[in-house]
Amino acid sequence: MAEAADRDTYDLGDVLDADRLRAVPPGTALLISGPAMTGKDRLLQSFLADGLTRSEAALAVTTSGTAEGFVDDIRERAEFEGRALSVVDCRGEGSRESQELEGGSQVHRVSDPADLTSIGVCITEALERVEVGGYDRGRFGLTSLSTMLTYTDEKTVFKFCHVLASRLDGAGFVGLFTIDESAHDQQTLQVLKQNFDGQVQLREREGQREVRVRGLGGDPSPWRVL
Amino acid sequence: MAGTDDPVVLIVEDEPDVAGTYEIWLEEAYEVRLAADGDEGLGRLDDSVDVVLLDRRMPGLSGDELLEQIREQGLDCRVAMVTAVDPDFDILEMGFDTYLSKPVDADRLTETVEALLARSEYDSLLREYYALVEKRAALEATKEDATLAESEEYRRLTAEVEELRDRLSETIGGIADDEEFIAAIRGVDDGGGG
Repeated sequence: MAEAADRDTYDLGDVLDADRLRAVPPGTALLISGPAMTGKDRLLQSFLADGLTRSEAALAVTTSGTAEGFVDDIRERAEFEGRALSVVDCRGEGSRESQELEGGSQVHRVSDPADLTSIGVCITEALERVEVGGYDRGRFGLTSLSTMLTYTDEKTVFKFCHVLASRLDGAGFVGLFTIDESAHDQQTLQVLKQNFDGQVQLREREGQREVRVRGLGGDPSPWRVL
Repeated sequence: MAGTDDPVVLIVEDEPDVAGTYEIWLEEAYEVRLAADGDEGLGRLDDSVDVVLLDRRMPGLSGDELLEQIREQGLDCRVAMVTAVDPDFDILEMGFDTYLSKPVDADRLTETVEALLARSEYDSLLREYYALVEKRAALEATKEDATLAESEEYRRLTAEVEELRDRLSETIGGIADDEEFIAAIRGVDDGGGG
């Protein structure tokens, strides 16, 4: 029994050394938060790349930069089978489309970060592709909730996160979502946090990046230099 | 028939035999309204309608056009397209919640109506959930932890938030499949803005 449980959980501890990230249950949703320029996106990409090297699938939704750029960034960090990675680019031009890149990764384009239905359809297609490809586990990343909040309201983003987290739970994925803490008021952060099982918090002190983990069954870990 | 608490199902179908059969299958548990074409369907639509069974190909106002009207008016009802051929995934993007392929049998019809009602319940639970979370966050943002620990209102809100979260994961099985996922997302999307 214990062995089966170990196999099913996700080990995120190689990216960020913290005991409670060593065995994260499938369906867990984590919020990566911090002020601007503290490396939230880099951390998210590292989590995805780490999963890919373990032959897990990865699915990303990005609201900034191109899907190709995102795939390239991940490629620099990991060797993996191309079809294990799908990226949904929410700032694409024109109508919704999907395309396979050289190397086998799939990109989906939606022209509007507020078009949640289209984003949902792309996520569904990506999950299907992952399943067809024989992957039964994977990591999902969304960057960023802050951009989504500039295109739509807090209520909508909150409900979107809830529905998405439920779907990822059903698929047995781990979900990672970034938010820029300095861009929103305390109330909004407090509301959105409700959808997450834990939080990886980043900050900068005296020129050094620091990190701590909250939630996932435990008191906040102490801040430490990353 | 009017004035019952039963959910209201509107059947828009131009073949009277087919519409009559659906009515027999559903009338025990639901308040059923019939419309013989799209224009009549539009006339029989109002806030009290929970589920619409919509034949896609009809004379006059087509199923697609009627659906457009429903979404434009912002009516809070779920729409199943009844179709002779299995449609592609994109019908969900068009605004339908699900489809039924002809010939439809009694079990499949009842299951579909029930599933659509569960989705409506999910949407309203999610709305309620957000409202409670927002209320609680407002308390957290303005009061000290020590004050919160003693606040009866805060305790009650927290209990309600937990309870709703559980109910949400039970309703429609925590969004186990793609169709439910898209439908739920569209519920979020439509409800946005205001």
